[in-house]
Amino acid sequence: MAMIAISIAVVAAVVISAMALVVFAPKMQYLRMATTTSTQDSGLLDYILPVFENETNSKVEVIAVGSGQALEMGKRGDVDILMVHSPASEAQFVKDGYGTNRTQFMYNWFVIVGPDSDPAGTRYAKNSSDAFKRILDNGTTGNVTFVSRADNSGTHSKELTIWSALGYNKTQVAAFDSSWYKQAGQGMGSVLDMCEDMGAYTLSDDATYYSRVEAGIIPSLNITKAGDSALKNQYSIILVNSTIWTHINATLAEDFLAWITSHDGQDLIKSYERYGQQLFTPNAPAYISALSIAGCRGAVEAAVSASTRSEETILRLSNIRG
Amino acid sequence: MVLGIEYDVVQVTLLSLYVAGAATILGCLIGIPLGSLIGLKEFGGKGTLKTITYTMYGFPPVVSGLFIYYLFSRSGPFGSLGVLFTPTAMILAETLLVIPLAAGITITEVSEVDRSIKDTIRALGASRRISNLTVMREAWVGLIMAAMIGFGRCIAEVGAAYMVGGNIQGETRTLTTAIMLETRMGKFDYAIGLGLVLIAVALAVFFFMRLLQEKEHL
Amino acid sequence: MTAAVELRNATKRYGDVVAVNGVTLTVEKGEIFGILGPSGAGKSTVLRLFDLLEAPTEGSVAICGEEVSYLSKRADDVRSRIGMILQKPVALNRSVANNIAYSLQIRDWSEEDIKKRVDEELKRYGLEGRRDKNARTLSGGEMQRLSFARSTVFGPELLLLDEFSANLDPKNVALMEAQISRYMKEDGSRTVVMVTHNIFQARRMCDRIALMWDGEIIEVADRKKFFEDPDDPRTAAFVKGDIVY
Repeated sequence: MAMIAISIAVVAAVVISAMALVVFAPKMQYLRMATTTSTQDSGLLDYILPVFENETNSKVEVIAVGSGQALEMGKRGDVDILMVHSPASEAQFVKDGYGTNRTQFMYNWFVIVGPDSDPAGTRYAKNSSDAFKRILDNGTTGNVTFVSRADNSGTHSKELTIWSALGYNKTQVAAFDSSWYKQAGQGMGSVLDMCEDMGAYTLSDDATYYSRVEAGIIPSLNITKAGDSALKNQYSIILVNSTIWTHINATLAEDFLAWITSHDGQDLIKSYERYGQQLFTPNAPAYISALSIAGCRGAVEAAVSASTRSEETILRLSNIRG
Repeated sequence: MVLGIEYDVVQVTLLSLYVAGAATILGCLIGIPLGSLIGLKEFGGKGTLKTITYTMYGFPPVVSGLFIYYLFSRSGPFGSLGVLFTPTAMILAETLLVIPLAAGITITEVSEVDRSIKDTIRALGASRRISNLTVMREAWVGLIMAAMIGFGRCIAEVGAAYMVGGNIQGETRTLTTAIMLETRMGKFDYAIGLGLVLIAVALAVFFFMRLLQEKEHL
Repeated sequence: MTAAVELRNATKRYGDVVAVNGVTLTVEKGEIFGILGPSGAGKSTVLRLFDLLEAPTEGSVAICGEEVSYLSKRADDVRSRIGMILQKPVALNRSVANNIAYSLQIRDWSEEDIKKRVDEELKRYGLEGRRDKNARTLSGGEMQRLSFARSTVFGPELLLLDEFSANLDPKNVALMEAQISRYMKEDGSRTVVMVTHNIFQARRMCDRIALMWDGEIIEVADRKKFFEDPDDPRTAAFVKGDIVY
């Protein structure tokens, strides 16, 4: 009998202490944010959110899922705010009335990644579409393999956009021969691992690529194409429609949007470095125009990125910066 | 692996224990009496009910997660309770997985209790209700087994936990969802480290439950 | 004299097998009633019907003159005043003392009273040394003693014994028979129904005896008549030991 009493006491103690940690958090405001896994994995949010949380005595609850799922969660009112990077889907989302105040605020880059030997010769491609063309041609002859995210993520959408520039719509892409076009249905990290294993090409966001390189997991993969404006990965904030979902702390959500597009917020994004480089480039409209008014060097870069330029130009400009 | 880097491993472990423990207890509180009822009572359709229960062993956890998500989404019937993305939602999703396990194992265990024991208990003058309770106590070892298996299922659960919990740092991040995160980020060593913590915790729990099983006198 | 327990034209079928076939049997209060017969005659089934563990397919069971159905609430009340001892008794998975205590716990006795009674029974049946051992570890003889203890500790008015001595050594059989006699002497309104295929035991212990064969009662007579001058030739053959079983 004593055994049972002791065991119940122990279980109760553990349960209560665990609950205490979880349930009795200090009184504060909460902002529920849906974002993508690649955003969370870059570490940016761990870097910038604490500043916002301190200033506003709030907690930002970050839920990282695929782009498609994030938008779905916004539709359902399960989150208060979205930080995503799927321009086409975002536009539709706002058009359908699910969200408001869609605001661009930063971008990073997609890169085409492939094996050292680069059998498709994507290095010599004029741009990303040309690179894809070379992969397609070599793929159908059995020379190379391409792994696709195939999961409605931002990266997947970007991939499809490039294919569509070559004249292939979504259905046609999905029907590419599986001998060379592998539809993985997995996250970016796993897809990179698969490419390492198979010596295949893929489209990746730069942050995930760099993190995998740093971890030493993908020694034989290299960036073979980058900087093409078609490879720009634009991030936006969308406020979930608080008229429909009255439980949302709309003020806090607006405060977040204001903060991240403010000078301080944008500078903070710019200062985030990892793998020896700045991962994200802030480009909220107010920030860009403010900079161009001030005439800083950075404004030129920002203005350049807002238009279409070649990889060469960007390299030239970064030399100017250096 | 150093404790405390990136987030509190202790907190994550305690949350895992809390969620898995609560779901196991809830699931057994429902599943064991249910299984006992099905196992000990004679009624039409008993065979069908048993088959359904055993089939539910294979119920995909992700589907349980989806179901709870739909129920507690703001767009869903119970959205206003604000349960989604809290440990409560995770507990509910995992409880659904434990119930068929606890019920099914209990059905088997109480059925296996010797016919002569059941007769003896009745012959000694126990009423229907007390008789069922005594049979359950005779099947004590097996019922603890049901709880152990239920706990095992919960502590290892990741799909449903991620879906209805959201893996929110400091709130709904468990050992398993943390492992998934670290793996996704390529930090395989850290992930394995967390995995070892999970196994150690599970070991402690199972050791304790084995002690309960071994108790000689009831 | 009120009948303690009766079968009224009772039949019990298990699928195609007829275990008890249209049997009418009356056991009087205060007597030790024996049921003799070969294995498979249906004797155990009669006891199970008496104990309301099962219902007859046809006919009825009456306790103290009143018909009782095994499913009814009344059955629970009645069964709590009947004790049944089986040939191969099984123990609950707990200590010897707690096995005996169980009979009293389910009758809502107080903790104090239970402890006292259990101590008495342990002493009476020589099980004190085994008090805290798991009852599953008992020897055959010890288990039968435990079976007696737990089935009589609550003072049942009707005691049903199903070939209790079949697996026992002579010393233990003698012990148990002495306990039965003592039990009856303690209270004149108690009744015992004893199923056995040991004719010597029946002659030692029983006031009246029934011979059962193939699900039917062949003859019921008091001890003297049953053994010395039975009506039915089969009875005569049986008590002479001419029948192989």
